Amino acid sequence: MQAIPPTSTVLSSLLRADLTTQWRNRKSFMLILLVPVVILLSWKPAIDKLGGTFVLGTCLTLGLIAIGLMGYSNSVARDRDKGVFQRLRVAPLPTWSIMVSRLAIQLMLIFLMATAVFIAGSYFDKITLSASGYIMGYLASIMGGAVYLGLGQMIVGLIKNAETVHSTSRLVYFVFIMVGMLGELGVLGKEIAEAVLWSPYGTVKHIIASSIHTGSWDVSASKALVATIGYAVVFSGLGIKWFKWSGSEK
Amino acid sequence: MKTKMVTQTDSSHKQVINMHVQSQAVLEVLNLNVKYEDFHAVKNVSFSVQEGEIFGLLGPNGAGKTSCLSAVEGLLVPESGEIYVAGYDVKKQGLLARANMGVQLQATSFQPELNVMEILKLYSGIYGVDLTKEKMDSILNNINLRESRSKKFGQLSGGQQQRVSLVIALIHEPKLVLLDEPTTGLDPQARRQLWERMEALRNMGHGILLTTHSMEEAEAVCDRVSIIDHGQIINTDTPGGLIDKHRNNPEVIRASRKGKITLEDVFIGLTGSQVRV
Repeated sequence: MQAIPPTSTVLSSLLRADLTTQWRNRKSFMLILLVPVVILLSWKPAIDKLGGTFVLGTCLTLGLIAIGLMGYSNSVARDRDKGVFQRLRVAPLPTWSIMVSRLAIQLMLIFLMATAVFIAGSYFDKITLSASGYIMGYLASIMGGAVYLGLGQMIVGLIKNAETVHSTSRLVYFVFIMVGMLGELGVLGKEIAEAVLWSPYGTVKHIIASSIHTGSWDVSASKALVATIGYAVVFSGLGIKWFKWSGSEK
Repeated sequence: MKTKMVTQTDSSHKQVINMHVQSQAVLEVLNLNVKYEDFHAVKNVSFSVQEGEIFGLLGPNGAGKTSCLSAVEGLLVPESGEIYVAGYDVKKQGLLARANMGVQLQATSFQPELNVMEILKLYSGIYGVDLTKEKMDSILNNINLRESRSKKFGQLSGGQQQRVSLVIALIHEPKLVLLDEPTTGLDPQARRQLWERMEALRNMGHGILLTTHSMEEAEAVCDRVSIIDHGQIINTDTPGGLIDKHRNNPEVIRASRKGKITLEDVFIGLTGSQVRV
């Protein structure tokens, strides 16, 4: 009779495989990194006007949107389509371990992306933060990352076809970037600017900008944090509820 | 030898057969019902697979084969019925049941970025198997993939992917092996090789549940087969027994092509000649 292997062994095997898969897909991660870093560099002349924390907050938010919508949702949709999840589910492992391993990799990517933005900000734009600013920046990025991973989960929960997930997540990503950035700057009008402030884009950007600028946390930042947690809970909850492990599952 | 009574419905004769199932069954499916909303996909199905037996589950598209298999694998929750793998209840002891079965899914894949060695390492970890370098080499030699061990799964040919899939299904030497249309898309040589592997597994005492559309395959390797249609088992017997039992059935005679009755003729005679989608 075969026994059930220890969860720690299962998790370490899954993590190693997911890490290898991510490493082999490093080109796509580099592309995800490119958007926030390019925006960081291109906004160099506007830093004095907008402020370093505003620019860093925007770039980190864009990076988080890319990880959740372009990276996570597409990889989950592809593996579901190819039957990778079904193969894992017939093995003696708890199903939660499959997603915990995937999320651990996303956490690592968020950390790498934030580090890249902080380094680029410091090196090219001379935006330096205090040690607590960096630590809070990482924590806020993880919190913001939960919103977009949840949104990515919701998209793969709603849509079964991998190609449709791919195109939908691209569209949502584009809308978030354009409406978020332009709306926030007031280009799309006052009403849109107000709406963006309380959108997932606005609240995540707000908590990141307030976190990295130590001492600037105020009541509106606390409200944005509550809204961010709310978005993360709702998106993840619906994403988990709607999610099917197989594209053909009825 | 301990035996117990199992009730099985034979819809073609509208009667209930009581049969004895040996206690060394590695798989027991009892009165299984699977429903998808209003559609009753599997109706009161019972069968068993013994140690050292290749059991074929045959049926046209949409007959309920994959639903039965998915219920055994724990991929879907049946409406009612009981399933035991190596004595473990699939519903209540799912992890233990899955630890004692090896599965080759019909539409399965591994991460295309992982190479053969990495896939073996991943699944040996998941099944708690200590995979030494010698054991890895021996596995790779057995499936003729030593030269391709650094190739990514996505770069392997269909036959090579099937061999990797089969070796993963067997990596923990399970009591029960589930093979869902394993020879689909294989050339005749690769198919024959897989049959030999199945027979070798049977000789080593593994119980194999095989679903296939190939009646030639079922006739060649299965010890017993069940024909399932519209979610119900129509008949269970040895391939030869089924042919003998139905050789005078007018539908079967009509289906035969060269005078000699084959399992395919019996299958078509019992399930109809209409193409299913």
